[in-house]
Amino acid sequence: MKAAARWAGTALVLSAVAFLLSPYYNDVYRKLLLWITLALSYNFLFGVCGQIAFSHFTFYGIGAYAVVILIFQLGLPLPVAIVAGTALCALVALAAAIPSTRLEGFYLGLATLALAQLFIVVLNEGGTLTGGTGGLANYRLPKVFGFELSGPRYTVVIVLLLIGTFALLARLDHSWFGRACRAVRDNPEAAAAMGVNVARTKVIAFAVTSALAGAAGMVYAFVDNTVNPPIFGLENAFLLLFMVIVGGAGRHAGAVAGAVFLFLLPFVLSPLIGHHHVLVFGVLMVAAIVLQPRGLIGIYDELRRRIA
Amino acid sequence: MRTSKAIAGLACVLAVALVPAQAQETIKIGVITDKVGPAKPYAEPITQGVEFGAREINAKGGVLGRKIELLIEDDQGKPDVSAAMARKLVDSGAAFILSVSLTPATQQAQTVSLATKTPQMTPSNSGDTLTTQIDNPYFWQTGPLGSIQIATLLSYAGAKNYKRAALVSDNSDLGQLLARFFKSGLEKAGIQVVSEELISRGATSADAQMQKVRAANPDVLVSAGVLTAENVLMLKSYRQLGLKMPLLASYNFSVPVYMSVAKGLLNGVTFVDAYDPAKPEIKAFEAGYKKAMGREPFNLHGYGYDGIHLVADAIRRAGSTDKEKIKSAMQATNYAGIMGAKGMRYKFPAGKRTGFDPNGMVVRLYEGDRQGRVVHVGVGKY
Amino acid sequence: MRDFLELAVSAAASGCVYGLVALAYLLIMRPTGIVNFAVGEWAMLGAFGAYVASSVVQLPYAAGVAAVLLAMVAAGWLTERIAVRPLVERGAPVLAPILALLGMLVVFRESISLMFSPDPYPVPYAFGFGRLELGPLAGSYQSFFIIAVSLVVFAATWLFFERTLAGKCFEAVALNRRAAALMGINLARVTTLSFAAGAAVAGLAGVVAGANISAHYLMGVPLAIQGFTALVVGGVGRVEGALLGGLLLAFAEQLTIRYAPIPAGYAQGVPFLLLMLFLLLRPTGLLSARERSG
Repeated sequence: MKAAARWAGTALVLSAVAFLLSPYYNDVYRKLLLWITLALSYNFLFGVCGQIAFSHFTFYGIGAYAVVILIFQLGLPLPVAIVAGTALCALVALAAAIPSTRLEGFYLGLATLALAQLFIVVLNEGGTLTGGTGGLANYRLPKVFGFELSGPRYTVVIVLLLIGTFALLARLDHSWFGRACRAVRDNPEAAAAMGVNVARTKVIAFAVTSALAGAAGMVYAFVDNTVNPPIFGLENAFLLLFMVIVGGAGRHAGAVAGAVFLFLLPFVLSPLIGHHHVLVFGVLMVAAIVLQPRGLIGIYDELRRRIA
Repeated sequence: MRTSKAIAGLACVLAVALVPAQAQETIKIGVITDKVGPAKPYAEPITQGVEFGAREINAKGGVLGRKIELLIEDDQGKPDVSAAMARKLVDSGAAFILSVSLTPATQQAQTVSLATKTPQMTPSNSGDTLTTQIDNPYFWQTGPLGSIQIATLLSYAGAKNYKRAALVSDNSDLGQLLARFFKSGLEKAGIQVVSEELISRGATSADAQMQKVRAANPDVLVSAGVLTAENVLMLKSYRQLGLKMPLLASYNFSVPVYMSVAKGLLNGVTFVDAYDPAKPEIKAFEAGYKKAMGREPFNLHGYGYDGIHLVADAIRRAGSTDKEKIKSAMQATNYAGIMGAKGMRYKFPAGKRTGFDPNGMVVRLYEGDRQGRVVHVGVGKY
Repeated sequence: MRDFLELAVSAAASGCVYGLVALAYLLIMRPTGIVNFAVGEWAMLGAFGAYVASSVVQLPYAAGVAAVLLAMVAAGWLTERIAVRPLVERGAPVLAPILALLGMLVVFRESISLMFSPDPYPVPYAFGFGRLELGPLAGSYQSFFIIAVSLVVFAATWLFFERTLAGKCFEAVALNRRAAALMGINLARVTTLSFAAGAAVAGLAGVVAGANISAHYLMGVPLAIQGFTALVVGGVGRVEGALLGGLLLAFAEQLTIRYAPIPAGYAQGVPFLLLMLFLLLRPTGLLSARERSG
């Protein structure tokens, strides 16, 4: 009950912020919240469960494209499309997970890298269904119970998505399943000896986090009312990995911190030092890992310890 | 001595007093460019062209008696960031947005120009779908469309009676878009596309593709690729495998970097361009640019230069920075810039928002490693 | 048939490039367990080095390549000092240097992109743009040059591991780090050497491939992905596996493009599909490593 109140309070505060921001900051805020959502679920997959996958943005893309195609090409009503879209993501995730989580470490990385590149090929070659390289545009979110969700009001939808994702993952993390995931990450043999079904744990973690990415993708589709292939490419998949690492893999707060830091970095630095901001980003990456391998959250812990 | 110091002091005070006054009166024009992503090779020179154009306009007294102030934003070649930057520009009071980044980025930024009714134009993007994918009356495009490029090439080749063509492109967004319109242009002209090839970004060889072209034995090879490194790779295979059919290429081959990176391979390659170096306007532009910026410009700079002049022209005719007035003025554009064939004027036909004159492109040939003179103008019957 | 043999020469050259990049991964991965995705950027540095050596400094080809390789050894050493040594000394998990090297990837790419313009730069051929016909085999000088150089590099590496004491040290470290250290092998030196050698091999790949693909700031990541694919396909444990994996990948790519009766757009997806299938069916690669203990 107390936890529920805390979640609701956070959602309220985060939503209230949206109504104070100008359209530009609102837009950046929306995209930041989406990155945080993705970083949280990716952190669960990579940081908690130890699976190196580059397919997170692929599922984000499947969700985004699915909801647009289902509503505007197949004419399904919004709620049906959302359910069908999530189901599709979970299904594709399961289909990808069952065979590929048999692979370890970088083999899984390579298999999902191939999947991510294949997805872009399919988007580019999808003809009118996916709109090819130009993607799909010229649609708007249908009214929900007579409400037009746009501007700050749509930001509230994203806040709810973020809070829902966070609450679900926090819950999972604290359950036996979270402990099983960590055990599988740290030592699969020991985990198996303790009675954890390693394969099943991996598959469930992969499918759940991928479905969460898909749900985020559905929300993304109406942020700019455009979906196109470059968003779902490898560039962003790598950035997501960096976010989780820089923030501190394995910790929810780390994922949040990493996403906030790396997403906002170019917005802040670009006006100051122009193009050099990417170099700064690279140097920070190296420095973060070499100086504080537990990332931003490690620095925070350190500071707290010193103050206390 | 003392008087001169006093005058200098007074001048300083005046300057300080005047600067904020002027700053208040600037006309803000937003530019969305790509400083780090895949569009950087084009976006960089085009943006420099915009900067030079703005400087020139300001030196001549500005627009409506006010100076132009450029607000340049980097979208990193990312469509979602491009839309965010468009919002930033609108919030900062930009009267107009110039987009010179990636085609999908320009597409996504249109969401913002449509929602905020802010005039937006791309002076360089050439994908045909930018003005058709969503109906956005606040968006214009003056880059030479893919369909114009292929029509101009076909018109040049018309007398040669080609029946079969091979089409090669790359897997960039613009490359695939151009390939689509090149293909439909070829088919409309009754030329059969016997082989369609694609070179992936980062490929280490194009021999397989060029072998297929050789086996299909077309009358002509048409290149719609826009990635310079991959185009050079294609050209190397084309020469290595001894392909004899002529090579007609998109406007990507018009950038001068080919002369250094594909040295010795270029002779006879035919390309379409929006730049006629023999035009007096181009000569004046090149001289002025070199004087002001200290470097030789090339055609990409020209797109940006014309872009900012088109915006300035629309604002001048609108008589104010009211966005609705600028929108109407822009649609009524009738302006001769430096780009295009002799006498070309930018105009937006009724109901259309693409302003590059279909008859404004030129065909040029590489003579040895030099970009030769214009050998053909316009689309004729195509 | 003539076409096929001609394509075989070209694909073999591409495969050798992938193989060299895979070898660069392998040289580092065997003794240290670190997957260094920055090898692609090393190849880019090599290609830019060859451009500078030939077009700016105007060195003869062989001298230019030698200078580039020396510079690459220095780059490899420096990379190890900055991004790997501090972590290894602290006993950080093996993932930490892998991620730090991903950061170095960005640093390399952006340094090049700030120093040069974003346009591609010409990289010289070893013997010009000619064409050689050896009986039924026909190909560019550069293709034959790439194949010859790669064979020499692979043969030398194989001999090093199989026939020299230093090579045995590397192998011993690869098999069991702790035991190797107990036997008096200097682990830090092995790590440094492996990075220097890896950088030189990756740089060489950039130099020889650059003649075809030109030097540009975005060339690194595709090479890193192709090389990594070759590595995994061949099996991460064996020198000859890297070459085999590279050749297999290049032939799969080029034969699909040339002969598969599907549209060109989809044809680029086929190698990815094959790779996924391959990983599922044979996740240890073609050649399996010698048994690892402990």
